[in-house]
Amino acid sequence: MADVVLKNVRKSFASVDVIKGVDLEAGHGEFVVFVGPSGCGKSTLLRMICGLEKITSGQLLIGGEDMSDVEASDRGTAMVFQSYALYPHMTVFENMSFALRMAKTPAAVIERRVHRAAEILQISHLLQRRPKDMSGGQRQRVAIGRAIVREPKVFLFDEPLSNLDAELRVQMRVELSKLHNEIGATMIYVTHDQVEAMTMADKIVVLRDGLVEQIGSPLDLYTSPNNRFVAGFIGSPRMNFVPGRVVDSSDSAARFSVLDAPENIVQVPLRAGTRVSPGQEVTIGIRPEHLIGASEGPGLEVRIDVVENLGGIAYAYGKTSAGLDLVLKAESETPPKSGMTVSAAIQEAYCHLFDDKGQTLSTSAGLVRAHEAAA
Amino acid sequence: MTEIQVLSNSRRRTGSTFLRKHQLIIAPVAFITPAFAMFSLFVIYPIIQSIGLSFVEWQGIGPQTWVGLDNYRELLGDPVFWKALTNNVYWLVLFLLAPVLGLFIALFLNQNVFGIRLVKSLFFFPFVVSQIVVGLVFAWFYDPAFGLLATMLEPLGVKFPAILSNENWATFGIILAGLWPQTAYCMILYLTGLNSVNPEVIEAARLDGAKGWRLLVNIVLPQLRAATFIAVVVTIIGALRSFDLVAIMTGGGPYNSSNVLAYYMYDNAIFRYRMGYASAIATILFLIMDLYIAWFLMRLLKNEKGSR
Repeated sequence: MADVVLKNVRKSFASVDVIKGVDLEAGHGEFVVFVGPSGCGKSTLLRMICGLEKITSGQLLIGGEDMSDVEASDRGTAMVFQSYALYPHMTVFENMSFALRMAKTPAAVIERRVHRAAEILQISHLLQRRPKDMSGGQRQRVAIGRAIVREPKVFLFDEPLSNLDAELRVQMRVELSKLHNEIGATMIYVTHDQVEAMTMADKIVVLRDGLVEQIGSPLDLYTSPNNRFVAGFIGSPRMNFVPGRVVDSSDSAARFSVLDAPENIVQVPLRAGTRVSPGQEVTIGIRPEHLIGASEGPGLEVRIDVVENLGGIAYAYGKTSAGLDLVLKAESETPPKSGMTVSAAIQEAYCHLFDDKGQTLSTSAGLVRAHEAAA
Repeated sequence: MTEIQVLSNSRRRTGSTFLRKHQLIIAPVAFITPAFAMFSLFVIYPIIQSIGLSFVEWQGIGPQTWVGLDNYRELLGDPVFWKALTNNVYWLVLFLLAPVLGLFIALFLNQNVFGIRLVKSLFFFPFVVSQIVVGLVFAWFYDPAFGLLATMLEPLGVKFPAILSNENWATFGIILAGLWPQTAYCMILYLTGLNSVNPEVIEAARLDGAKGWRLLVNIVLPQLRAATFIAVVVTIIGALRSFDLVAIMTGGGPYNSSNVLAYYMYDNAIFRYRMGYASAIATILFLIMDLYIAWFLMRLLKNEKGSR
């Protein structure tokens, strides 16, 4: 049974529509991540689920019950804020027990639950401290602890890691995933960082302008994005987009030439139900890790501007002769130098194809297709 | 080239001098001395002088006669002094309504709607107006013949006494006038305090099930402690030194029924030429304030330690 269900949920502030009809489900124990560029409505959606914003129209079910008009504190949700929002005048213990005290829970129960949560988060030694005497990471834990003691059906996280430094962010990311395994509660997590989304989520919801662009597992979104927006948003560095033109097509596959290098013909299998006609302009999407630069061989000629060598992997930023920006993967041990010209081969099996409206034409890219091609 | 020269020159000049060596001691002393000199001359010296004057009989000019504690003995038996002291207590207690009212007005005004800035400045307006003007406005407002209060109440059939010439009502009439600007001041203090409250903390509290009164008491007020502290301190000092409104509205009358210590002191010194007696009143008022200021400073020190 799904813990959280949204049915055609909409939100307008005065005359501005922020959420324009969202349907989604978060199953019990699922880790769902909302991603999208800033202003896409992901935080608003979260605030509507917890009850801080009223739902303009549509239906919200939590645990099977309609919660659209239920008080925020009675929805069985707990929220962790970006700024942590700890009560500055209270100790950690008082912060974590506040909700229970408001609900007039017996003192013994409060004591037990707070200590249990503190143990899970390893903050037992901090219970008498005040927020101002703690580091960002510790405050973050207290904020999570405050949510845990309420034993909510659904945890809501609003960009909880964005105020932490890079190292701590990686560490807390792992700990949050562990915590999710340990507690097994449903969690909904908002972020604009697609690395967080890819690493933590069971299910990613990509939002843009108040609409859901695609829902799926991280790998689904990575290998078969529904449209050019999702393809560009998921993955880092960003997917390369190269214009192309269809040469000929059958029901199941299309061959097309890559502009800039018309002799470069690539064949890609088509999704069921999509058709292309010869001469049609398309966009080819190829991720940097599948666009490998070599000193010679077939492919696009790319003049390298900058090389980012991360040690294990290197990315080269360059331009084709027609001025198209491309990012490609390079050998980290013998990286190309800036000013060099390399030839970037497009790996057919990892190619995405989009029509002029940005809709995906190709089947899911990756290993499966690579095997098919080999067979 | 020249720049480097200048730099090295100036470094050589201050490099090993006495000034440079003792900079950490000299700088604070240099900054404090002017203020301390002024404060001594215009505050501490007059205080000592007026305490000295409280032991003599003096008409402002002519000889001073040493009378010892006679002025204080007379004070103890002076019904006007006791009346003034009682009135000061009324002022003190009722004036504390200002922080409370100010808080609620601030909570009410702390929202984002069109024109709220104008409304806020209108609420703050009485604090900008001179106390003398406030006194005059309220005196006219209370006037039994043509005042707004009488005009409003007349159709309702309510006959109010002439407030400022009624010995039971006069003090309260003046206190009400004083509350008007004082509330505005407390409101501004609370509005700035509310500005620094993180809205996410309030939202977190709402999710934790705190609403209305409990939200105010448990979450909002504790975060406004600094504002509350200043508001109470300023209000108490304002109540103890109440003078201008009394002077402009009743002159302490009728029959000294609205007198306060500060005005009684002024009355004795300026109109009755009893400098010694007035100084004794001033000394008593000073002692009352001292108690309070000592408490204030202790709280302040404790707060500063706590916030570190």
